[in-house]
Amino acid sequence: MSGPRDAVADRGAVLATLVAVVFALTFLALPRLGGGWFWETGNALGFLALAGLLFQMIPYPRSGAARRHERLGYWVLATAIAHAFWFLAGDPTLRVYLQPGAPAHMWLGLFGLLALALLCVLARMPDRMRVHRRYRVFRTLHRGLGLAALAGAGLHVLLSGFYLPSWPQAALLVLICLACSLGRRVWARLQAPPRASAGIYLATGAVAGALFVLIRNLVP
Amino acid sequence: MLAALFFCGLVLVVTGPPGADDRAGRREPRFGGTIPVLPMTFSHGDHFGQTCASCHHEFTDGTAGPPCMTCHVTDRSVAPLLEDQFHGLCRSCHVTEHAASRPSGPTRNCTACHLPDHDF
Repeated sequence: MSGPRDAVADRGAVLATLVAVVFALTFLALPRLGGGWFWETGNALGFLALAGLLFQMIPYPRSGAARRHERLGYWVLATAIAHAFWFLAGDPTLRVYLQPGAPAHMWLGLFGLLALALLCVLARMPDRMRVHRRYRVFRTLHRGLGLAALAGAGLHVLLSGFYLPSWPQAALLVLICLACSLGRRVWARLQAPPRASAGIYLATGAVAGALFVLIRNLVP
Repeated sequence: MLAALFFCGLVLVVTGPPGADDRAGRREPRFGGTIPVLPMTFSHGDHFGQTCASCHHEFTDGTAGPPCMTCHVTDRSVAPLLEDQFHGLCRSCHVTEHAASRPSGPTRNCTACHLPDHDF
């Protein structure tokens, strides 16, 4: 049963904050530099997926919120896939960046997406119980794949140099990644697991994404 | 479903989106070289006001010769750097112009420069 303190986390305050922080980070340098609505919309999907992944990485026992964590994971994966397909389907040039000779940041993005997909497949209930007989093995693998996905996604963003070209932005993103991946003791101070529904994820993502596109392409 | 999605992605990478100009994402040897490059568009008229030497280093370093792209796709010392050099040269200038609120060229959108019907 949720208490008054749980209610704060249940409303998705942590997720909303992470979404806001990730999008705000892109505005610390060249805030009005836009590449057109198509480009920014596709990348807004990518940043939303990154924020969702960061939220999912928060080390906190999810005993009572595992199902919600699982469901949100599918939405994060769907957003990451949408980010990739948005460009593949809409820009015929971009496929060159996933062919032999492509730059490292694209391979890292693909690696992160595959790691995230594998993570979701291997954690799917109730199949998970058959694949992983021992919970400790599952937890180690799940955490390892999560870290791999986050590392791939983070390096994809940083090495592309489009939205986080300055070193303070890169340092802040690394700090956020570390804070969300580690820091178990700090997160343990929360009175309740940082929960969020898919609705909160999509609503905050829609608002942040819209601002991201509009500020970069309409603000003179 | 995930496997089917990733297969569709692979098809898109290999063939490009349906209905798109087939030449848009096709790298072919151009400008007399053997390395495959994407089609590009460039207009000197759009760059009126920039000093020639901003791009034409041969005007100042005495390496005059064939048109610029010929060297950049045939000279083994610079051909591997083609993408980095031209993305860096074009995009950094466009970003600087955009930041100064002056008319600028594309800063990110790939197809804005790599147009298949305007080889230069």
